[in-house]
Amino acid sequence: MNAFREISSKISAVKLQNRVIALFALVMMTIPLGIGPYPISAMVDVGLYSIVTIGIILLMGFAGQISIGHAAFFGIGAYTSAILTTHYQFSPWLALFLGAALSGGIAAAIGRAMFRLHGLMLAGITLALNLVFYHLVCSMIGLTGGAMGLINIPPLILGGFNFSRSFLTYYMVWIIAIVILGFSLNLADSQVGRTLRSMNTHAGGSENAAQVLGINVNSYKVQILVLSAVYASIAGSIYAHHARVVEPGTFFIPFSVMVVIMALLGGLRSPWGAFLGAGLMIGVREFLWEVMPVFVTGVTGAYELIAYGVILILALLFLPRGLISLFGRAFTKRRATV
Amino acid sequence: MKTDSAVVKDAVTSKKVASDKLLLKVEDVSMRFGVLAVLKGVSFSVPKGNILVIIGPNGAGKSTLLKLISGLLSLQEGEIWFKQHRLSKIPPHRISSLGITQLFQDVQLFSSMSVIENVMVGCHLRTRAGFLSAGLKLPQAQADEQRILKRAMSKLSLVGLEQKAWDNPAGLSWGQQKLVGLARALATGSDLLLLDEPYSGLLADEIDKLNQLILQLQRQGMTILIVEHLTDVLMGIGNQVIVLDYGEKIAEGTPDEIQRNKRVIDAYLGSG
Repeated sequence: MNAFREISSKISAVKLQNRVIALFALVMMTIPLGIGPYPISAMVDVGLYSIVTIGIILLMGFAGQISIGHAAFFGIGAYTSAILTTHYQFSPWLALFLGAALSGGIAAAIGRAMFRLHGLMLAGITLALNLVFYHLVCSMIGLTGGAMGLINIPPLILGGFNFSRSFLTYYMVWIIAIVILGFSLNLADSQVGRTLRSMNTHAGGSENAAQVLGINVNSYKVQILVLSAVYASIAGSIYAHHARVVEPGTFFIPFSVMVVIMALLGGLRSPWGAFLGAGLMIGVREFLWEVMPVFVTGVTGAYELIAYGVILILALLFLPRGLISLFGRAFTKRRATV
Repeated sequence: MKTDSAVVKDAVTSKKVASDKLLLKVEDVSMRFGVLAVLKGVSFSVPKGNILVIIGPNGAGKSTLLKLISGLLSLQEGEIWFKQHRLSKIPPHRISSLGITQLFQDVQLFSSMSVIENVMVGCHLRTRAGFLSAGLKLPQAQADEQRILKRAMSKLSLVGLEQKAWDNPAGLSWGQQKLVGLARALATGSDLLLLDEPYSGLLADEIDKLNQLILQLQRQGMTILIVEHLTDVLMGIGNQVIVLDYGEKIAEGTPDEIQRNKRVIDAYLGSG
């Protein structure tokens, strides 16, 4: 009887989570009605970073694989979109799809080779991937525009709506982010989520135990890397069509580190953590960009780095499970679902 | 009402008529870690439905042998056959899908999951839903979830821990953790169960319970290979015993034969 009571409470928890997603979507859809264009633009950034960070959380928090090179996948999406639409007049939506496929393909190829290695080697290889991508983009001037980048990237258009306007981009980004959140939460609560956690040696998992239960650990590592790369690529493509300009500096190591900080800050235990981490970091960034110059003269870039470092240290010291740990079970629920 | 020891004796007798169809064959297996020879030309075979007990002092190579069978270590010399399959060069997850699973000495439960989730992971080979169907919660994924939840619960019932299904394994006693590990291994539906020192750290009543479970599994047709150093416990349960000493097989036979074997007595059991 106890087991059945637990199952009933679990069903309630699933329903609660669905309601929380619906409420979250409702809140996010009403936000633009009450704020100006500049905050909307910042919220677009939060949405884009959140999409990438959800992938990082699945990769790091669930599968225990460390990546500090996801700017490369974000950049592959952005540059694929930019190159195909500006040089070859592809439809932006088709370019977005092809960018995601390319990122996923590259992630699969790298993953198959790199996941035979263990520990910090993985982090090192993703870092190297980011460096290679950056230098390739800088050197292939004819295709990528080199250090100057590419301009006049066409906006995404759907049903007569031109998504170059922040207001519309906001809705598109957040609808995609919430769909990705729902997909990722389903994944987290499924046998796939449990399988990923079973091999996470940083969080109570064991690769040996997973393997003797029939789990192809390397295959799952590759698949989750591919999924996170596809998320990053989708965000990158939307970014390119929204900003309408890409330049290599955007896709360098700081971006990769930023999304890892967002994941750690928000919490690696749930995809919800992505929104908290991205929201806080973009909020701090906007504060430093907009408010700090009022009090401090000169370049505020150094303050930005210091602030990020301090936030990360404080979070690791006082909230090692991230901001998500401040919230209830609806966000961190990790139970079998029926 | 039969006592536990009477039940064990009955089961041992019934084991004599176990099928002699070979399930596992280990041929001349040797293993070295650097200059240290851990296993030296070990050979044996296990008929289907038997309980094989491998005993030996610490460092005899028992756990290494289990890891070679489950594929967690790569074979250096010799060959291992399971059913009609050569296990060398087959990765552990494929060996598991052929029908071999292992309970580790330190159990290695997944501490970020509840007890029932641990056992559900053991049902992995019985799921078909991939990333897409799980993420989209397609009917196949939902059906998988329901099926494996039911199966996991039945395995927990088998070991008597269904009431602990939603607890974190860290809150269970060591004996209960071992039983959860056993339930998780059983959830794979394997034909051959490798148990690495399953009795270590268990209380007397927990040892009795585990013995009952092992014999029940054998009656259901499962083949079990136990590695242990608690010889008195195992002599009553195994119908085939192998003794390893410094990586060498020094004896093989029935428990009675082993207990009378002079070389075993000298090397391991002692004369007391």
